[in-house]
Amino acid sequence: MKNHMNYSKYILIILSILCVLMIGLTSLNSSFVEPLRSTIGYLLVPLQSGVNAAGSVVYDELMDIAKMRDALAENEKLKAQIDALTEENNRLGQEQYELERLRELYELDQEYMQYHKVAARVIAKDSGNWFQVFRINKGLDDGIQVNMNVLSGAGLVGIVTDVGANYATVRSIIDDASNVSAMSMQSGDNCIVSGDLRLFEDGKLRVNHVLKDDNINAGDRLVTSNISDVFLPGILIGYVTELSIDANNLTKSGYLIPAANFDDLQEVLVITERKEEQMLPAAETQTEAEGENPGEDMQE
Amino acid sequence: MKIKKVIINLIFLIAAFVIQSSIFPLIPVLAASPNLLLILTFSFGFIGGKESGMFYGLVAGLFMDLFYSGPIGFYTLLFIFIGYLNGICTQYYYEEYITLPLVLSVINEIAYGLYVYVFRFLFRGKIHFGYYFMKIMVPEIIFTVVTTLLIYRLILWYSRRLQEMEKRRDTPIV
Repeated sequence: MKNHMNYSKYILIILSILCVLMIGLTSLNSSFVEPLRSTIGYLLVPLQSGVNAAGSVVYDELMDIAKMRDALAENEKLKAQIDALTEENNRLGQEQYELERLRELYELDQEYMQYHKVAARVIAKDSGNWFQVFRINKGLDDGIQVNMNVLSGAGLVGIVTDVGANYATVRSIIDDASNVSAMSMQSGDNCIVSGDLRLFEDGKLRVNHVLKDDNINAGDRLVTSNISDVFLPGILIGYVTELSIDANNLTKSGYLIPAANFDDLQEVLVITERKEEQMLPAAETQTEAEGENPGEDMQE
Repeated sequence: MKIKKVIINLIFLIAAFVIQSSIFPLIPVLAASPNLLLILTFSFGFIGGKESGMFYGLVAGLFMDLFYSGPIGFYTLLFIFIGYLNGICTQYYYEEYITLPLVLSVINEIAYGLYVYVFRFLFRGKIHFGYYFMKIMVPEIIFTVVTTLLIYRLILWYSRRLQEMEKRRDTPIV
């Protein structure tokens, strides 16, 4: 019995040391565990996709019944809203004109619309509320790679941090560890949008590193910045709400309401272009353009 | 017979993990979700002893580590210890006694929350422990304790069934 007890204690110690070693190693470089992660992915992703789909069906059915009851009451309310909306529509028509003008101004619409996107389904989320990380059912096989940007219909959702053959892990911008380099659409001034677990409940993100003299105000649209290493420029992040001067009297900080809805995220779009790639071809085409002369064309 | 039990337990772990990652997030009304892997690890440890706790802790931890990005071993280390330490308490294990498992469940959940908070949040300078405790840890603790009542009973029931079947097979036919 005595020996037996020691024996399990030794196992515990050996396993602990192994774990600590692995934490150290994989913190520095996690590429060598990718095959292992992929294997687990092959086993679990189909299972999760199936369970997720089945769960969705059951849940949707239940919700439908509940919704029917609400729908009747809602109908009344909506009728009243139609009037209000018609009026608002007129106003928006005017704003649409303004929007087009602004888009032209920033030449963003082309870039933004041209990105090639892949639709993916959210199949799993990190359990517990500590992290805002989720997993989608598209991976390397579908052309997904690390650092690709993820959108929902309305705006930026997150970035791919990890990818396997048939899955990819996405860290959303509301995760506590997320930082996005942003700029104001109105003025072009830069700032940082960071996720904060403590603001998550209010549906807000933190905006900081706004220089005191920068022209960013409450209500401004923030889009991903040109100078970001990983985010493609011009993707809508959200709207600034409050902004106040920091204690250091040099910078301002405030809050942002994200454009994407994170409560009920089921389908997302992944842009299959990466910032780093975008930077490379740009350089190449430039050199091509420089070297372009009739003589070379003839040789080709 | 032992192999059969191990296989059933492993299936339980996989099912728990799939439910935890793919079903719970579907339900937006849940403020928090129970940590099923933690409940299973501690139950297997408490009922089966240190070795079994460590083994299932290792499996559960590896699931968490391999399925989510981040350093490998982070969750495994925690789950091994939870399995082992709850395994020590197996000497106080009586089948019908539910109070101790519930108390253990609360302690485990607090340990889990503290571990994640200290290494993933405090290390990045996020010091508002009170907020994280009230908003994230407490709801999860409540959900986990309630779920423990069900799952712990379920595990007890089928481990007893397996034992009975074993006994029946061992009795010589007269």
